[in-house]
Amino acid sequence: MAETTPLWAVAVLPFVLVLVALGTAHFDALLAADPAANPGREVLRLLVQQRRRTNAADELLTRLGVVLLPVAAVLAAVVLPLGFRSVSDLADGIVWFNAMEALAWAAVWLAGWGPNSTLSLIGGYRFLAQGLAYELPHMLAITTAALGAESLRVGDVVDAQSGLWFAVWMPAAFVIYLLSAMGMAFWGPFDQPVGRDVAGGAAAELSGVDRIVFLGGRWLLFVVAAAVSVPLFLGGGHGPLLPGWAWTLLKTAAVLALLVWVRRRVPGVRMERYVELAWVVLTPLAILQALVVALVVLNR
Amino acid sequence: MELRARLLRTATSRPGVLLAVCPGAARARLAMERELRSRGWPQVGSPASANLLVIVGDPDPADAEWIDGLWLGIPAPKARVRVREAEDVPSALDEGRASLLVRGKRPEGDAGHVDETHGEGDNHGTTPEHAENNDTHGGHGNHGDDSDSSHHQHGEHDGHDTHDSHSGPDTHSEHDGHGGHDGHGEHDGHGGHGGHGGHGGHGGHGGHGGHGGHDMHAMSVAGLPMADRADDRDGLRLDRLHVPLGPALPDWPAGLVLRLALQGDVVQRAAVEQVPVLPSARRPFWNEPWLRASTGEAVARGLAARRLCAAHLDSLWRYLAVVGWGGAAARARAARDQALAGESSGEVLAAVRPLIRRVQRSRTLRWLTAGLGVLPSDRAASAGVSGPALVAGGDAYDRVGVWLDEVGRAAAAFDDDGWLDAATELSGPRGRVDGGVPPSRALLDVLPGLLEGAEFACARIIVASLDPDLDELVPALRPEVVHG
Amino acid sequence: MDTSDWQPVLLLLVLISAGLVLLYVIGAALSVEREPLCDVPPFSGGLGPEEHPFSRFHVRWYPVTMVFLAFDMEMLFMYPWTKVVGEVGTSAVVEMFLFLGILLAGVGYAWREGAFRWS
Repeated sequence: MAETTPLWAVAVLPFVLVLVALGTAHFDALLAADPAANPGREVLRLLVQQRRRTNAADELLTRLGVVLLPVAAVLAAVVLPLGFRSVSDLADGIVWFNAMEALAWAAVWLAGWGPNSTLSLIGGYRFLAQGLAYELPHMLAITTAALGAESLRVGDVVDAQSGLWFAVWMPAAFVIYLLSAMGMAFWGPFDQPVGRDVAGGAAAELSGVDRIVFLGGRWLLFVVAAAVSVPLFLGGGHGPLLPGWAWTLLKTAAVLALLVWVRRRVPGVRMERYVELAWVVLTPLAILQALVVALVVLNR
Repeated sequence: MELRARLLRTATSRPGVLLAVCPGAARARLAMERELRSRGWPQVGSPASANLLVIVGDPDPADAEWIDGLWLGIPAPKARVRVREAEDVPSALDEGRASLLVRGKRPEGDAGHVDETHGEGDNHGTTPEHAENNDTHGGHGNHGDDSDSSHHQHGEHDGHDTHDSHSGPDTHSEHDGHGGHDGHGEHDGHGGHGGHGGHGGHGGHGGHGGHGGHDMHAMSVAGLPMADRADDRDGLRLDRLHVPLGPALPDWPAGLVLRLALQGDVVQRAAVEQVPVLPSARRPFWNEPWLRASTGEAVARGLAARRLCAAHLDSLWRYLAVVGWGGAAARARAARDQALAGESSGEVLAAVRPLIRRVQRSRTLRWLTAGLGVLPSDRAASAGVSGPALVAGGDAYDRVGVWLDEVGRAAAAFDDDGWLDAATELSGPRGRVDGGVPPSRALLDVLPGLLEGAEFACARIIVASLDPDLDELVPALRPEVVHG
Repeated sequence: MDTSDWQPVLLLLVLISAGLVLLYVIGAALSVEREPLCDVPPFSGGLGPEEHPFSRFHVRWYPVTMVFLAFDMEMLFMYPWTKVVGEVGTSAVVEMFLFLGILLAGVGYAWREGAFRWS
């Protein structure tokens, strides 16, 4: 059972997330061997930039969408345990994570719609189509993990994996989760909503701080989504020798590294092809996985 | 203030560069891309994240509305420079960075007050234009071509003129001339929109593209009408947007403009246009060896193979970037630069072979691009297409396959010291150069048909898989100059 | 459920909001131009659009949203269900997967009708 967490953890959490996100972005730039992709310098460059507003834009909606993304990402992370402690181990933590992550739908669409620009509009709508594709297999995957522990509390899910990691006996759910982690953060092969072919899509018209907040929020969401796979499928802080928090960090780093590597190896996935795969292959597969887990739960 | 200046200096140490590449400037563009890469300056995809607008080539100063559009969209700190020759790239970039620092703290007018913006724009233009003057002189040194130089000078003056007239109603007459090609019916639409014109250069767009009549009663907000409805292919009446796509999109054929009618993100209709440029005395870069051979010059096969290899790698990197495969795209681009830098067959092959293997084996790529933009051989042939698109006779995936094959073959043939046979070997990267029309003309002719009904992302992939080279369509300056 | 569980969440929300405000303030202080650039033409390559891009977007994946909605409702039952499978036993599993089976049949039908292909 998770121990109580001091309140100052609340203040630390956002900084840790930002640091991990910066580190991941650095690693990504390193792998691309592209000196132009340095995240720190990019932030500074955008900080001195003037903000801009497109002709007849809906300023309120744009701003709301931009700001919502990092807020949702950080709020989702309250249930994320470092070792065996999270900022708040909510009784329905998995549902909370799901709810916060789904706010990205609204965020990206609003940011895409607001600027009154064709390309950003296309980007925003692309994310809705993407959501329809990744979300259902994703929800089935996280419920499968909850089913394995018979609890919606993330701490209980971690405890249930003191012996065998869920990733071992629910491999399909784990792989589906990783796919959807990239999908929900519209990152890597799933970056079509902010794709280069639409000149940045939902982010095409954002400059200055707006751009930092939106694209930074996307990195945060990506880090949080990837990190949640550790307590749900990779045994959280469980592991020999090292303390729990070290294991959590190690495993999170490994998952992030894997996903960053995948991004280099795979072309962008367009939803008009992926939706079919998601519904005809991934959804039945996830349901089958849930059935297997349910049978195991019944017989123990 | 000292601190601020230092901050600005650090923040713009690697400014975001937005490239506005004109047709006919492939050599300068290649040098620019290489230089940006080696400096580590990010090449951004939209004005919103740009600091530096770099105009590559010779835009027609009488119709440079698109460049003004880009310039208007860039937030401060910003600067613009123009580059004509590959040799001038480093100095132009230095110049641009320096003027970013100088003008970091300058109020920019909003588009709403075009007059003010205009004043700014003019000032902004000044220093870089000076730089250009210097550069142009350098260029002349290389060419020693009088008619050429007089033309450039002329062009520059015009450039100033356009800037001056930008805010005035002249912009409209300019635009009318441009739009006139859609037919005269639209002129009335434009006339009706005269009132909107006051909203700045952009109001003038209203009457474009065959629905001028509608606009007369269409609701108008902030200088633009709202989208009107039209039947879609499923028989629904849906909003239809008219959007000019290009010419300065990332990974897009330089100078191409597609006038799209979009419903959602589906292309309903597409019309091809190109950015007007000044005539050039130079042969299109990618076709150069074959064009020279066609005039009877002796051109080594190895040289042609190198050019072909680089041309396809150039197309390939743009294609891979458009399909969202940044890793492979970067490799293709690096290999292109290796081939252009004169590295040996062995070195280029070592770079190219793993790339070819990876792209050919990618099932994901096949799954994602198969069936897009199908162009059967017979249709291609009847349209006059003669290059890889004809050989492939299929979809985007097949065309890329042909590029890959040809890249591998060409990379192995850099040392072939035979001569190009002027009778049989006149096929450049995009097709036969000895026909009456340039091969890319045929590609542009088939393009609208392939785009209709395609989703936006698919449309981009189709364009990238044909990769028309608008350099071929740049009007030649003077026949006798071409020989000189 | 304990209200103290939600205290940190609320605190975090306040904290991030403050952080974002701070970021915007820093941005305003550091940016070379405090007034935003207004009425910029939207970007589509340099030439402005002919109409406002705000439009009723042609959402061709509309049928997918319907199928999605059905499953989304199902998830409302599935979350609490995970907690009681062990207690209720076989009947819980049978009922849930019968339900899912029916929905899957719907997916199969939608697939046959081509709802998942729209280009």
